[in-house]
Amino acid sequence: MIRRVFSATIIAFLLVGAPLFPAYAASSPADHQPTTPIQHLIVLMQENHSFDNYFGTYPGADGLDLNTQMPVDPNNPAAGYVTPWHIGNASITDISHSASTFRDQYNNGKMDGFVAALNTRNQDGKLAMGYYDDADLPYYWNLADNYVLFDRFFSSAKDGSSPNHMYWVAGQSPVPPKDVELAQVLADVPTIFDELQAAGISWKFYVQNYDPTITYRNLGVVGNRASQVIWVPLLNFDRFIDDPILSSHIVDLSQYYIDLQNDNLPAVSYIVPSGASEHPPSSLMSGQRFVKSVLQELMRSSAWDSSAFLLSYDDWGGWYDHVVPPQIDDFGYGPRVPAILVSPYAKTGYIDNTELDFTSILKFIEQNWNIAPLAQRDANANNFLSALDFSQEPRLPTFLPLTRITPPVAKNDPSSLIYMGYGAAVGVFVLTIGVTNFRFQRDKKRKLREMLEE
Amino acid sequence: MSAVNNLNITERVYEPEKVKTKSIPAVTELVTSRLVMLVALGMGTFLRIWQINAMGYNTDEAVYSGQAAAIAHIAGLKDIFPIFRAHPLLFQSMLSLVYRIEFSDLAGRILSVLFGLATILVVYKIGQLLYGRLPGALAALLLALMPYHVIVTRQVLLDGPMTFFATLTLYMLARYGRFRQPGWLYAAGACMGLTVLTKETSIVLLGGIFVFLALAPEVHTRIRDLLLSVFFMLLVFAPYPISIILAGNSSTGHNYLVWQLFRRPNHPWTFYFEVVPPAVGILVLVVAVVGLYMLRREHYWREKLLVAWIVVPLVFFEIWPVKGFQYLLPIAPALALLAGRALGIWIQRASNKRFVSPFKTIFNHQATYWMMTGAVVFSLGFSSWQRIQPETSTEFLAGTGGVPGGREAGLWIESNVPISAKFMTIGPSMANIIQFYGERPAYGLAISPNPLHRNPSYDPIVNPDAQIRNSEIQYLVWDSFSANRSSFFSDKLMGYVNKYNGRVVHTESITIKDQAGNPIVKPVIIIYEVYP
Repeated sequence: MIRRVFSATIIAFLLVGAPLFPAYAASSPADHQPTTPIQHLIVLMQENHSFDNYFGTYPGADGLDLNTQMPVDPNNPAAGYVTPWHIGNASITDISHSASTFRDQYNNGKMDGFVAALNTRNQDGKLAMGYYDDADLPYYWNLADNYVLFDRFFSSAKDGSSPNHMYWVAGQSPVPPKDVELAQVLADVPTIFDELQAAGISWKFYVQNYDPTITYRNLGVVGNRASQVIWVPLLNFDRFIDDPILSSHIVDLSQYYIDLQNDNLPAVSYIVPSGASEHPPSSLMSGQRFVKSVLQELMRSSAWDSSAFLLSYDDWGGWYDHVVPPQIDDFGYGPRVPAILVSPYAKTGYIDNTELDFTSILKFIEQNWNIAPLAQRDANANNFLSALDFSQEPRLPTFLPLTRITPPVAKNDPSSLIYMGYGAAVGVFVLTIGVTNFRFQRDKKRKLREMLEE
Repeated sequence: MSAVNNLNITERVYEPEKVKTKSIPAVTELVTSRLVMLVALGMGTFLRIWQINAMGYNTDEAVYSGQAAAIAHIAGLKDIFPIFRAHPLLFQSMLSLVYRIEFSDLAGRILSVLFGLATILVVYKIGQLLYGRLPGALAALLLALMPYHVIVTRQVLLDGPMTFFATLTLYMLARYGRFRQPGWLYAAGACMGLTVLTKETSIVLLGGIFVFLALAPEVHTRIRDLLLSVFFMLLVFAPYPISIILAGNSSTGHNYLVWQLFRRPNHPWTFYFEVVPPAVGILVLVVAVVGLYMLRREHYWREKLLVAWIVVPLVFFEIWPVKGFQYLLPIAPALALLAGRALGIWIQRASNKRFVSPFKTIFNHQATYWMMTGAVVFSLGFSSWQRIQPETSTEFLAGTGGVPGGREAGLWIESNVPISAKFMTIGPSMANIIQFYGERPAYGLAISPNPLHRNPSYDPIVNPDAQIRNSEIQYLVWDSFSANRSSFFSDKLMGYVNKYNGRVVHTESITIKDQAGNPIVKPVIIIYEVYP
């Protein structure tokens, strides 16, 4: 009897508990061969910009109407309006982007509270309507020109960094009950990395300036490095802190370059920045330099031919975005964020309108490596396969500059000029010879005739 | 006597009375000269196309082909090679038409070969006009086998086509001298315009023409005709400055000229004396000079024309600080004509029983002169054959051929390196080759950032260390040819390789023989990826 109960318990655990603890589930690597030519997925999460803030004026994208009039007070039209303005080198600050800010900006789907939400939080509401263009974001716009720009990529949560990062790795962002620590709740939340580990698929979480001593357990004493715990959500999970096997997958970004050089890039790589996150008010150019270095090293590695690199932003950062985010559940979506896909199979200069969010990344991983969904969100999410064309030969990578590549200014085509000019020169020569020879032959004939007459 | 022969007599009205070269029967001369021309064209073609594409382009070939590719809008090159650089674009624009049909390095070289073969035909026509069929055919044969002309016309250089147009100018002048119709002088002016439109340095030949006209009063040239001839030259040349101005690159040629005027000498003053005689053929020079001396009593405007055509450029380029192997090529046809003239006349004279040689013995036999001709021809052919063998040296003289491994390295880059990746080479020579075959921008470390000390056609690397550190330059290329020319910049480049964790990603090697004669494999081009 005891044996039967024990056996039943084991079976029940395997059936019910295994999905919660996939690291312990048995799986054959042969079951998880990539279903597409993509053998390496690299995702990099930057910080705090909306789609309109970065690509609102990008030609062909669902972007900003520069005549938009955002009311200073939605309830009082007489208070005036703010229209979108180019930020350029203007001074900005970290504007509010909490869940309550979103609620006010969203204003029940009217999307007219972007200025007022900041004003009520004692910030300059005009800031929300600022936008950048290709002069400020030359590298990203160059990338968009050459690869794929998504213009319906939403942040998963209508909130700030923490929940969005959680969706990024787990497909959900559990809210702990009162008096329960988040880590306790997360103990039962599987992440994509648990799944990958269980399936025997290689993965790493690369962190710029990684300090392994900083986890959720010592947030109070790490000062301004606390963002590491937000941007690396695994550092909120006890098992990813304490299990030496799992924790060994969270490494400094320098390891990424070493792995690329040693042809040892894992199947799935998550990358987060440290200082170069573009989190307002930090430098956009340093962020672009950072992304360029990460991407450029991938491009000249052996992994390139079978890779896909997705750049995205964790939340909208409080900036205006004109598209009403679909509300698929109580938590999201939040506003659109910029997202770019770079891959040898990426379509060229393509703007993808597929509705995506961070769980679309999980969806891709799950479909590509044959892994079960983690949660409802990723199970229902769209994939970004529409941005890839596997019928094309893998493209050679393109090193793009930090300066904007603009189409050459239309002017006289020197080729036509050269053909006309030099053709005319040869024509003059031929004419001169022709006339001279004609006269020569005529004289010759005349002399011959005279001689014959004599 | 046929009417045609009568006509020939009327055409020779300006010939000096004492020149009597028609000793061989006309039919024999016709057959002999045609046979010689057949050999000339056959051997000339063979020497110019045998293994012509065994090696890839050298730096100059890469530049001219790159310009042609840019004119033809060849994707991958049109944005790398500026159309307007140092020289006019007649040949490049012709090459671009070829590239529109078939874009390959072989197609470019074949066009150059065609110009070379056409030059041989023109030399024959000049020789025939001035001295008769046999001297003309012999001159053509000498040029066909001459290493100097063979080597240069196997390459996509401006000098081969320029020499063709220059020789055509010479032909027009010869017709002018012969028939005294001003139209031929105008045609010579127009043809001179094309010559300069191919390469502007050929303007020096204008000096040769003026010297000839000054020293040959018997030609009776009117100032008005001379001015009209110059007008035609300028008219034909005009598209060069006009196209530059209209395209908005008005300073290009001017900057290059200033740089050429004030740059430091690139070779010692003995350069031409060391490299040109062996390339022209020592025996050719001996025969030409001895012929001039021995036949001095028959000198007339023809010899003045040929000698002025040779001496003026020779003196000019000897004085000019910048020297290049192929710069004197336009004088090669004139040298061949003088040598062909001597051999042809001697052969004709030997068949004339009235001719009495001072030596009265072996020099009185035609066979002796044919053997002499054979010796000259053999020496030229043998020398050319040796020079067209694939290069097995790790050193290189500009203008003498392709660069071993250059094409292969470039094609590897084109297939394996990210688009728009930037390269640093030791000097601009390898940079040009990398750009043409690799279709990636490349910059020479040796190019001075000081505009006074660099060829204005090239872009310098400002602060190379910073550019590598910022990943703006990702690949460094070391090559033995540039390293042999500048150990300083070779060391400098390797310093960056070591400093920024350079990793070899590709090597091109050649097999050479060591001092003991054993074959050894030596790397000639090494491509490093740097990781700052």
